[in-house]
Amino acid sequence: MNRSPSNALGQFPPTWVLWARAALLLGAGVLLGFAVNRVHPHGVRFTSFAAPTACALPSGQAGPAAAPAVEVLSLAQVAGLCGDPRALVADARGPQRFAEGHITGAIHLPCASSGVAASAALDQLAGKETLVVYGDGTDDALLVAEELRRRSDRPELRVAVLGGGFAAWSQAGLACSSGPCAGCAVHP
Amino acid sequence: MSRPRTALAILLRLGLGGLLLVAGALKLRDPAGFAVEIANYQLLPALAPYLAAALPVTEIVLGLGLASFPRAWRRPAALGVGLLLLIFALSVASAYLRGINIACGCFGGGGDAIGPLTLLRNLGLLIAVAALWALDRPARPPLAAGPAS
Repeated sequence: MNRSPSNALGQFPPTWVLWARAALLLGAGVLLGFAVNRVHPHGVRFTSFAAPTACALPSGQAGPAAAPAVEVLSLAQVAGLCGDPRALVADARGPQRFAEGHITGAIHLPCASSGVAASAALDQLAGKETLVVYGDGTDDALLVAEELRRRSDRPELRVAVLGGGFAAWSQAGLACSSGPCAGCAVHP
Repeated sequence: MSRPRTALAILLRLGLGGLLLVAGALKLRDPAGFAVEIANYQLLPALAPYLAAALPVTEIVLGLGLASFPRAWRRPAALGVGLLLLIFALSVASAYLRGINIACGCFGGGGDAIGPLTLLRNLGLLIAVAALWALDRPARPPLAAGPAS
């Protein structure tokens, strides 16, 4: 322990007093913070808190009620949209699967990605008329697509999933590309 | 301490203290939203709700300590502020280097995405705390007279 000299006025306290007082201030702040949070109307609930992901919508952020349901498109329909500048294709699978192969031009938006990534994906939808989400199959893509449908404030946007998922696409020998996932650092 | 040094120390104390008070008060408006901001950093998501509850009031306590507490508590408050700002700076730098495009959350919900300017601001605040630490040093007691030879 460093024993600093102390004068009669106590202006030069030992180092341990400095650290103890700093710890006391920090501790008081933490305890007071928990107490205030407990009675705060917008306080965070420790047991039920879950960070929003692309598949979990925070309460009170539902999109337009009149928005049409998510469509399930056939392979031929999605293939027809490839290269269309008015369409955006999103891959809802994990980064490893995405790197192994994905529909050419697809962005990466797995279900486990953060709400921030989902919002960023919505930003890319500006000027687009159709969003097609695909996964390993149909159901996993539907989770993400329905979430994006709710988050979007554009009821005219057509949101769809690829029926059969990437497995069916790959089996049919349709256009794919592979390689590292540029956006995976954002949502590993 | 000379007069310009005293004036600069007071300016830094009030500036940093006021900044912490404002930042804490803004975050305190919506702790649940702040928890999401913390979780978005993807560092310790399990701790996000606890940090969101504790940090705003801690900032307010430290801000008050820096700006208005007696001298015996000002240096401990400056030490706490330095530690807190160091953690904030490392978190922002980590998110920036990982390419995570998120709002800073430094002053409550929303705000601009973190970037070089956020990093520079945090660095500037750390330098300000270090300067205050050096300027607000208590007077060293006079050396005790040595044994007569």
